[in-house]
Amino acid sequence: MSAATLLSVRGLRGWYGESQALHDMAFDIGRGEVVTLLGRNGAGKSTTLRAIMGLLRKRSGEVSFQGENLIARMPEHIARRGIAYCPEERGIFSSLTVEENLLLPPVIAQGGMALEDIYELFPNIAERRKSQGTKLSGGEQQMLAIGRILRTGATLLLLDEPTEGLAPVIVQQIGVVIRKLKERGFTLLLVEQNVRFAARLADRHYVVEHGKVIDRLEAADVAGGLERIQNYLKV
Amino acid sequence: MMTLIGISPQLLFGQLLIGLINGVFYAMMSLGVAIIFGMLRIGNFVHGAQYMLGAFGAWYLLNLPELFPGLGLPSLNYWWALVLVPFAVGLIGAVMERLFIRKVYELEHAYGLLLTVGLAMLIEGLFNVRYGAAGQQYDIPASLTGGVNLGFMFMPYYRVWVIGAGILVCLATWYSIERTRLGAYLRAATENPDLVRAFGINVPRMLMLTYAFGVGLAGLAGVMAAPIYQVSPQMGQTIIITIFAVVVIGGMGSIAGAIFTGLMLGMVEGLTKVFWPQASTTVIFVIMVLVLVFRPAGLFGKETVAAHAADMSTARPHSILENGRLWMLVIAVGGTILPFFIYPVFGMKILCLALFACAYNLIFGYVGLLAFGHAAFYGSSAYVAAFTAASWGFPPELAILSGVAMATLLGMIFGWLAIRRQGLYFAMITLALAQLVYFYAIQSSWTHGEDGIQSVPRGYLFGFINLNEPLNMYFFVLAIFLFGFGAIYRIVRSPFGQVLKSIRENEPRAISLGYSTDRFKLIAFTLSAMLAGLAGGTKAIVFQIASLADLYFMTSADALLMTLIGGVGTLLGPIVGAIIVVTIQTELATLGSWVVVVQGAAFVLCVLFLRKGVVGTLEDWLAARAERERLAAGGDAPVIETNSH
Repeated sequence: MSAATLLSVRGLRGWYGESQALHDMAFDIGRGEVVTLLGRNGAGKSTTLRAIMGLLRKRSGEVSFQGENLIARMPEHIARRGIAYCPEERGIFSSLTVEENLLLPPVIAQGGMALEDIYELFPNIAERRKSQGTKLSGGEQQMLAIGRILRTGATLLLLDEPTEGLAPVIVQQIGVVIRKLKERGFTLLLVEQNVRFAARLADRHYVVEHGKVIDRLEAADVAGGLERIQNYLKV
Repeated sequence: MMTLIGISPQLLFGQLLIGLINGVFYAMMSLGVAIIFGMLRIGNFVHGAQYMLGAFGAWYLLNLPELFPGLGLPSLNYWWALVLVPFAVGLIGAVMERLFIRKVYELEHAYGLLLTVGLAMLIEGLFNVRYGAAGQQYDIPASLTGGVNLGFMFMPYYRVWVIGAGILVCLATWYSIERTRLGAYLRAATENPDLVRAFGINVPRMLMLTYAFGVGLAGLAGVMAAPIYQVSPQMGQTIIITIFAVVVIGGMGSIAGAIFTGLMLGMVEGLTKVFWPQASTTVIFVIMVLVLVFRPAGLFGKETVAAHAADMSTARPHSILENGRLWMLVIAVGGTILPFFIYPVFGMKILCLALFACAYNLIFGYVGLLAFGHAAFYGSSAYVAAFTAASWGFPPELAILSGVAMATLLGMIFGWLAIRRQGLYFAMITLALAQLVYFYAIQSSWTHGEDGIQSVPRGYLFGFINLNEPLNMYFFVLAIFLFGFGAIYRIVRSPFGQVLKSIRENEPRAISLGYSTDRFKLIAFTLSAMLAGLAGGTKAIVFQIASLADLYFMTSADALLMTLIGGVGTLLGPIVGAIIVVTIQTELATLGSWVVVVQGAAFVLCVLFLRKGVVGTLEDWLAARAERERLAAGGDAPVIETNSH
C-alpha cells in the first residue's frame, strides 16, 4: 500500500439476508484520485458503496480508510471519519426545502466548500433554494445530491451512478463538476455504467462482476482498452 | 340575559371553554403520538399511561413530606412539578425506548403496538394496585386561584393559564420541527433514516430523544391536567383512545394539523355537550367515521404508506399441529371427557374465549390485519343475545343467532370503514369504532349501563334440552365451538382462504393477479366478526350476563394476547392461548387488580421473547427434530425451509 492510499478495500464480503452479494472485493483509491467501479446491473457496485458506508448490515472484510479499519463501524461513525455518500436514488428529502437539504449533513471537518461556492458550482439550484426538494427536475436533484455532500469537509465522496437517467447536456455538466471537484482535491469513487462518461474522468477503473473485481484499467490503458470494457459490460 | 336558541351564553361559553381546555390536552397528546408515530413508526399506546405518570409526578412532588416522612423533604409545588416532571417522565420514556421499544423497530408494526399496550397495562395496573379507582386531589396553585368575570361568563385564571401555556408549547414544538435545523434532521430521518445516518447523524440516539420528548410532552400535559381532572390511575386509559381517533382524523405528515385537529375536536366536543349532551362522548368517533368515508387520509394527511398487511404467521403448513381433521377429533374426544375432570363452567369459559380467539386469528393471523376492536363484536352479540333472551323470551339458539346477526352487521360496517387504511391506522380505527359501541352501551337504556343485562335465562335448547343442567350447557357450547373451529379450518383451507394468505404475504402481488383484495379483506373481516359474535352470544347464555367488560378494549386486548401467546396464524394457537390466559385469570382472580399487571407483563414478555407463541415454537421444534431424524437416517442434504421474509 503506497503512502498516498486513502481507501483500501480487502476481502470485502456482503450479504442481503442469506444471499451473498459481495465476494472478496478488493481495490485501492489514492488520495485525490477519481476511481470508478464499472459493471453490469446487479454486479455489486452499489452494494460495495453501501458496504463501505456501513449501510449494508451484514458485511465482513476490511475497509481501511486513512489506515483505520471501518468494517465494524456504524454509518454515522464512518461519515464522521470523512466519507460522504450520494445514493443512486439521490435521496432528496421532500419535507425539506432545497436549502435545508443542502444544509442537512453536518460539517465534520474543516475544508468543506462554502454554501456560496456550491451555489456557484450549481447555479440552477441557487435559483430554487426555497423550493421543496423533490420539486426539482431529475438533473437538478442530482446536482443537489452532489452539492449536499461538498459542505461537510469529507475527503472521500462516494457517488452512485450520478448520470443515471439524465439528459446528455446534464451529464456533461456533471462531468465538468466532477473535474472541478478533483481539482479542489476531493477523492471520488464513482459507480458508473456509462463507460464513455467514466473514461474521460477517472484515473483508474475497476470492473466488477458477481461481487468481485475482475479487471483493472489505468486511465492510460483506457483508449486501447475501451473495447475490452465494453465486452465486460455488454449484456 | 340574552339567550341563543334557548341556550344561555353562560352554558354555551362555559362548555366551549371546557372544550378548549380538553382540546389543548388533545393537541399536546396527539402531537406527541404523531411525532413518535412519524419518526419511530410506533403507535405509542402507552402515551396515556405516561400522561398519568405526569399527573402522579406532580402529586408526588407536592406530597413528598407525607410520602417519605423520615427524609425531611420539602413539598414541591406546581411550578416545580411543571419543570421537573416532564423531564422525569421523558427520562422514563428514554429508558423504556432503550429497554423495550428499540427491540421492535425492525419488526412488524403490530409488535410495537402490542408492546406498548403491554407496557400501558403494566404501568396503569401497578398504579391501580396501589391507588385503586379513587382519584387524588391536586389543588390549583395559589397564584392561579380565582378568576375574572367577563360579563357573559366567569373565567378561572388557571384555565386561562392552561390554554395559553398549552398552545404556546404546541406552537414551540411546531416551530422547532418545521423551522429549525434539529427539526430538519427529524423530518429527514422520518423519510430516510439510513441516509441521515450516512451523513454522520446518530439516528438511534435521535430516535430515543424523540421518544423521550414526545413522552415528556405527555408528562407535561399530565402536570397541567392534575388540578383540573382527578389524578387517578385510569385517567390515561380513555384519553389514549380518543387521541388515536384525533390522530386518524388529523392524518399524518402535518404537525400543525395535529395541533389544529386536537383543539378543534375539543371545541366540537364542548359544543356537543351544549346541544346534545348524550352524544358528547362519541362525537369525536363519529367525526372519525365521516373523515374516513370522505377523506381517508385524514384532514391534513398525505397518504404515503403503500398497502401492506402484516405477515406475522408462525405456522408451518405441513406440521401435524396444523391438521384440522385430526385435531377436531382430538378436541371432540378430549372435550367430551373434560367435564368429568374439571368444572364445566371453567371448560365453557375456555371454549367461549378460545372460539373468540380463533375468530380473531382468522383476521389477524390469516389475513394479517391488526384489528384491535373485536370486543365490539363479542360484546354486542352478548348484549343482543342477553336482551332477546331476557326481555323477548327468545330460546337460547335464537338469542345467540340474533347476537351473531348483530355482530355480523357491525363487522360489515366496521370492516368497510377500516379497510380504507393500513397497518397501525387499521388498529387505531377498529379500536376507536369499538369504543363508539362501548360508549353507546354505557348510555343506552336497554343495556342497563354499568349493571349490564343480568340474570339472562339459559332456557331450553330447541324447546326441550334444559340448559340449566351444567352438562347439557357444556355439550351445547362444545358443539358450537367445534362448529366454529371447523368453519375456520374450512375457510382457511378453501381457495378463498388461499387468496387471504396471498394478501397477507404480498398484497400488491395479489392485486396484480387480479384479486380485488379489499373485497376479500372485507369478507374475511365480516366472517371473523360473525364468529366472534358466536362466541360472545354463547358466553351471554352460559354466564347469564352481558356487561360493559365484554365491550371494553381490554377484551380486544385479550383476544390479541391469546392469539399471540398461542401462536399467530396457527390452527391451535388461539386455543392454547385461551387455556393459558383463562387459567392465569382464574388463578389470579384472588389477587384482584394484579391480573392486569400480569397480563401486561405477559404481553411484553411475549413480544420480546416468544414472538412465535407456544404452538409456533412447538411447530419449529417438531420440524427441526424431524429434520435431524431424517439426516440421521441417511437422508439427502437438508431442504432448507425458512420462515423469514
